[in-house]
Amino acid sequence: MAHSRINNDLLRPLFQTTWRFYLLVGLFGTVVLTALVAWLSQAYFGFGITGIRWPIYWGFYVTNFVFWIGISHAGTLISAILRLVDAGWRRPVTRCAEVITVFALMIGAMFPIIHLGRPWQAFWLIPYPSERLIWPNFRSPLVWDFFAINTYLTGSVLFLFLPMIPDFAVVRDKATGFRKKIYGVLALGWRGTPKQWNRLESAMSIMAVAIIPVAVSVHTIVSFDFSMAPVPMWHTTIFGPYFVAGAIFSGIAALLIAMAVLRRFLHLQEYLLPIHFQNLGKLLLVMALLWGYFVFNERLVTYYGNDPSEMAVFWRTQRESFAPLYWTMVVGNFVLPVVLMGIKYFRTITGCVIASIGVIVGMWLERFLIIVPSLGHKYLPYSYATYRPQPVEIIIAIATFAAMTLLYVLFAKFVPIISIWELKAGDPTDRFGHSHTAAVRPVVMDRPRD
Amino acid sequence: MKAIYGLYGDGMSAQQAVNRLRANGVADRAIVVMSAQPMEDFEFGHMDSRTRIWWMACLGGLLGMATAFGLTWITEVSWPINVGGLPTFAWWPNLIIIFELTMLGAILATVVTLFVTAGLGRRSSFYDPAVTDGKILVGVANPPEASVGALESALGAIHGAQVKTI
Amino acid sequence: MAADLDKCTGCGACVTACHAENNISTVGADQAARGRAKHWIRVERYWEGEFPDVRLKFRPVMCQQCDNAPCEPVCPTYASHHTEDGLNAQVYNRCIGTRYCANACPYNVRFFDFFNPSWEKPLHLQLNPDVSLREVGVMEKCTFCVQRIKATTIAAKAEERELKDGEINTACAQACPARALVFGDLNDPESEVSRLSRSSRGSKLLEDVGTKPKVTYLSRGN
Repeated sequence: MAHSRINNDLLRPLFQTTWRFYLLVGLFGTVVLTALVAWLSQAYFGFGITGIRWPIYWGFYVTNFVFWIGISHAGTLISAILRLVDAGWRRPVTRCAEVITVFALMIGAMFPIIHLGRPWQAFWLIPYPSERLIWPNFRSPLVWDFFAINTYLTGSVLFLFLPMIPDFAVVRDKATGFRKKIYGVLALGWRGTPKQWNRLESAMSIMAVAIIPVAVSVHTIVSFDFSMAPVPMWHTTIFGPYFVAGAIFSGIAALLIAMAVLRRFLHLQEYLLPIHFQNLGKLLLVMALLWGYFVFNERLVTYYGNDPSEMAVFWRTQRESFAPLYWTMVVGNFVLPVVLMGIKYFRTITGCVIASIGVIVGMWLERFLIIVPSLGHKYLPYSYATYRPQPVEIIIAIATFAAMTLLYVLFAKFVPIISIWELKAGDPTDRFGHSHTAAVRPVVMDRPRD
Repeated sequence: MKAIYGLYGDGMSAQQAVNRLRANGVADRAIVVMSAQPMEDFEFGHMDSRTRIWWMACLGGLLGMATAFGLTWITEVSWPINVGGLPTFAWWPNLIIIFELTMLGAILATVVTLFVTAGLGRRSSFYDPAVTDGKILVGVANPPEASVGALESALGAIHGAQVKTI
Repeated sequence: MAADLDKCTGCGACVTACHAENNISTVGADQAARGRAKHWIRVERYWEGEFPDVRLKFRPVMCQQCDNAPCEPVCPTYASHHTEDGLNAQVYNRCIGTRYCANACPYNVRFFDFFNPSWEKPLHLQLNPDVSLREVGVMEKCTFCVQRIKATTIAAKAEERELKDGEINTACAQACPARALVFGDLNDPESEVSRLSRSSRGSKLLEDVGTKPKVTYLSRGN
């Protein structure tokens, strides 16, 4: 029966571990540990070991913060929006996307602590009745960040966890010994009665409806960190929608890369089909065009207004010292995805991955180019300066990618990366790309080795 | 006897089994169905589907809204601090806090309601792992001794059924 | 405050006096080159014109104590806030070092403590006991010598009399040999600083940004 085959294929990563897994964990774990040491040395030796300087007080750390919070919009778009419009092709993809959301949020949410001058007092952002007789400043965008990111993180974790419950039940039924006990606890006694299915699906609908405005608000509030300050080229109303569009854009790119990697290394060729990549590739194209639209808007209005301090920053990015980074960003964010995703011949899995890598690079550069050129070139020429990132910041930036990969690898080892029950619940033609009655390969093993 | 149930290979057979159980006088409340995926195409998939979860979500949202409004109003008005000439209780920035906590309240209320109404975390009465392999379980928990024979024949009458008792 | 740019010679006495009065540590040549110097008041020097028609202009820039300060609403812990006196206060104990205030400040007058300050002995004996030392990770800036304001205000209150114009002086204004810097009470229309703020030579720095700064710069060129 197709059920056994799905179970076997999707549970294989849980029950079979090769040396490759340990190598990946060891490698990426080491990089993450290095970054931890780097940050601890920053706390110990003083913040001065970073490249931050007067008057460029935000650099790599805030770039990474905005970048990773942006990546976290992958899950919301795919999982929530596609769930609400009942697009069947989402089924194998939802958990991959939701996992990216949760881990990207966790990584991004660490940066408000990493970049603090006194991180040991970061808990002052929590609204609790303190002995200092003072509460956080609810009028500050950073406090809005705290509320928004925590709400989104809570919502995303729950949105990820709820549909995992029936899958934990599947693992519980197929596992033996100690594993059976653990997954038995995680499955929370799930049986699969119509009552439970109905409640679960209603809860998922509510969560999908709730999480979309939260996601939009989160990145808008992150954009408020910039637009609330009277800095040239920051104080603009376009930042809200611009950041949200950019976030969804980078989220789709991250999802495409994750899917391609999973497909290859977990042998999910029968589940993550070319049609999935093509559909997401079309979405990437749409978001690339939308990104181009927003950039054109922002730039034209600045150019037309001809405000001296804004134009100084404008030319700095387009013609002067930041021009190489700027044009790389344009190629990565616009030229590459539009060409590769716009022409059907190139809209293959490889094409999607290349375009997505371009977008990831381009979006990181975009965050950097929003922050640093403006801060180094505000109003008074005497205070113009250049930012040079130091090893601490570079190591931590690289380690975020390692951390994301590490967390993903660990997750795929302990939880089925494709939602088993959602796949089974879908139309069979969605699942295999061909009709249910076509010949099915005989099942090689019914009960996986433990 | 803890339970008597039949395992069926597809939705049609399971629906027939449910109908036969009803014909034998078993109340809907007492019929237990289990499946590996939601079977919304069939009538039995909609048993016991009335839920108040949407109302609970709204209630949670209202609670969140009230909490946020209280938090911002009380703290800002009790300790008024002038920052940049903004009013002590400024609506535009506080609406952001109120929005976030409203959504958080709705989300948490949904999850709590789900756990409580779906009986998650509670010990279940009986289960068969064959459900994971695609079988649909239709049965009765704690059936009265007298009716066991009738139930067994009702469940077994459908082609392809596997009747079990525990 | 009022700063007369026609009188300012760019000597930098105000900078030195500020460092001495407010316990601002020097950071060393290497760190200063990397942009970590903390000159609460700095003298900005601009060259105008081409050789041999070059002119040199000096502008002492300190915290403008803006009425519509962009640095205040953005601080998550209320470390930067407006006092009833009209000053922008920086509460070191509340600061967690997000540095948002410094980014928001159009005048770039806010400074971050990148390292714990240190003074080579015996310079530590010169520290002003009225001003707290700032540890690594907090923001600091010109306070209009709030310790002097407070001390004089309390003394006047104890003596049950009003403050006279010129009684409180910031360290920079006190040290300026050209008397280019004038400090006083803007609420008193008769004070010298109020008079100067109404002068036809007067203008505010970056007035179009909308911060409502309280320092008037006087210059014939206006």
